[in-house]
Amino acid sequence: MKKVLSIAAAAALMSGAAMAKEVKIGVVLPLTGPIAAFGQTSKGGLDIAYEQNNKLKNGDTVKLVVLDDRGDKVEAATAVKRLLDKDGVTVILGEVASSNSMAMAPVAEKAKTPMITHASTNPRVTKGKKYVTRACFIDPFQGAVMAKYALDNGMKNAVIVTDAKQDYSVGLSKAFKKAYTAAGGTIAKTVLINSGDKDFNAQVATIKAANPAIIAFTGYYPEAALMVRQARAMGVKAPFIGADGVGFPELVKIGGKDAEGFMYTDHFNEAAASSAEAKAYVDAFHKKYNKPADTMGALAADAYGMILSAMNKCIDAGKASDDKECINTNLRGTKGFKGITGVININANGDAVKSAVVNVVKDGKFAYKTTVNP
Amino acid sequence: MDMTTFLQQMINGFSLGSMYALIAIGYTMVYGVLRLINFAHGDIMMVGAFLVYLAHAAGLGFPASVLVGIIGAILVGVLTDKIAYKPLREAPKISLLITAIGISFFLENLFNVLFGGVPKAFPAPDYLTKVLHPGDLYLPMTAIVIPIVTLLILAGVLWVLYRTKYGMAIRALAFDIPTVKLMGINADAIISLVFALGSGLAAVGGIFYAISYPSIDPLMGIIVGLKAFAAAVLGGIGSVTGAVLGGFILGFTEILVVAGFPELGGYKDAFAFFFLILVLLFRPTGIMGEDLDRSRF
Repeated sequence: MKKVLSIAAAAALMSGAAMAKEVKIGVVLPLTGPIAAFGQTSKGGLDIAYEQNNKLKNGDTVKLVVLDDRGDKVEAATAVKRLLDKDGVTVILGEVASSNSMAMAPVAEKAKTPMITHASTNPRVTKGKKYVTRACFIDPFQGAVMAKYALDNGMKNAVIVTDAKQDYSVGLSKAFKKAYTAAGGTIAKTVLINSGDKDFNAQVATIKAANPAIIAFTGYYPEAALMVRQARAMGVKAPFIGADGVGFPELVKIGGKDAEGFMYTDHFNEAAASSAEAKAYVDAFHKKYNKPADTMGALAADAYGMILSAMNKCIDAGKASDDKECINTNLRGTKGFKGITGVININANGDAVKSAVVNVVKDGKFAYKTTVNP
Repeated sequence: MDMTTFLQQMINGFSLGSMYALIAIGYTMVYGVLRLINFAHGDIMMVGAFLVYLAHAAGLGFPASVLVGIIGAILVGVLTDKIAYKPLREAPKISLLITAIGISFFLENLFNVLFGGVPKAFPAPDYLTKVLHPGDLYLPMTAIVIPIVTLLILAGVLWVLYRTKYGMAIRALAFDIPTVKLMGINADAIISLVFALGSGLAAVGGIFYAISYPSIDPLMGIIVGLKAFAAAVLGGIGSVTGAVLGGFILGFTEILVVAGFPELGGYKDAFAFFFLILVLLFRPTGIMGEDLDRSRF
């Protein structure tokens, strides 16, 4: 008995003091498939954050285990299971699309493993969950920012374009409508589209007849690019305003000159990056990829930073760096985290409360317009 | 709805319908001969559009790129036949159908791995994307060009089928392959010809689709392939003229649903397919299909 104890004590000493551990973070992203652009750009930012910092305070190293879910919800949930059972990860980071994060959340929740999504903005992702946090704001806020910006610029009559196939778009449209009508705007019409569609001429003719001051487009960029082309071709002059789902280079590449003036709310614009953390990230990004830093990458880097910060807090409190309960408590309790996308506070629901930027397409680039605080 | 909007929606329906019609012709032709629903048709379309994009990116002019796209798609089509379908000539039809689905997945994923899933901007030339403006209406150039191309192709296909020796062989093949072989006709060569024609038509369809909606991705052929299939079935699968008719009906139905009931616009596909079911309930072989055994083109 005595011998056993002393061996155990020796082992504990060895592992505690001398041997640095390896803590694994499981990452689930759509690296291929229809929304591959989101996954690829997320990975790009994550890689930079990882290169900048992959050691914890006590000398433990962090390791990323990255899995591709091809943008599919079933694959996303399976990936989480694999990360937990086979790779034994301590924290899960991902996904981008709200539908996919919603498929992952119950698996992480059941295994009592903290999960943080960097970019899923639908409120239902964290709703009722104890182990799910996010590094981004939610759609009701984003919709309110769209509405406020439109009204502040004197556009009091809107048509809403909703992608009926996307939880994201349906939720965002609802939020926009609520904020817009509450502040005195009127909704002339709501038209529906489906992601994957390419012909929007019928919807455009309806919009033209309604003659709105602004078109609130709540879907994703592939449809936005084609719709704005078809709208301009049919002589619709009203400006478009969208949200974080449209801010991708393809909006300009496919939309061409018709995309000029397309406004959208977003989490990040490198032109608005003023903090030291943001500047260091943007510089490293330019050096590595030789192109402007994108939103998804910055959000992924922030989610990663929040995980490391939570782990370090656990170490400070004398806990192990892979103590899931402790990491989760600290993630959910994040306050004043100085991120690349701004200062992040996590509220009681696990949602980030932070500022949004409004960007506009100008000369084929995403120009910064203004920052809106919560 | 006022008169201008109504006329505009008519133009929109006509333009979308002619798009479906163009793609459905190729679909129905392969079916007419081989009784094979070539699920890879939409993906050959995608291949055609992608090759044009790649050739253009490599520095070729637009017309030359189109030629590369069509010839490339024909090669892919014929190669698919030689590698995947030919060994199954004597096998049950269902094996062929499953193989076609396999080819479809293969092409989609091959292009996904090679070029990524991010949509690419198709280099549509200005003279084809410009919009005419008669009165209060807006008439895209494609709404004029595509119906003309569709009619020319329809005439061309009918000419090949009914006025050439090869056409006669194709029609004979549609009735009875073993007998055609006994007559000393090289059935495999003729089947390859059918695939070449079908793939060429798919490429033309894909290229015009990409000109109308200048965003291409490896999965672009799925939905439009399904619509073209529906159009072909609606018109009576195997009938080339029926495919054109079916394409127009489908296009108008979709546009009118969105125009008439904007709040139901998200379900336009449901309406289109419901309409298809309705037609098939009363005419199981489609509008132009005569009866199951005799209808060939």
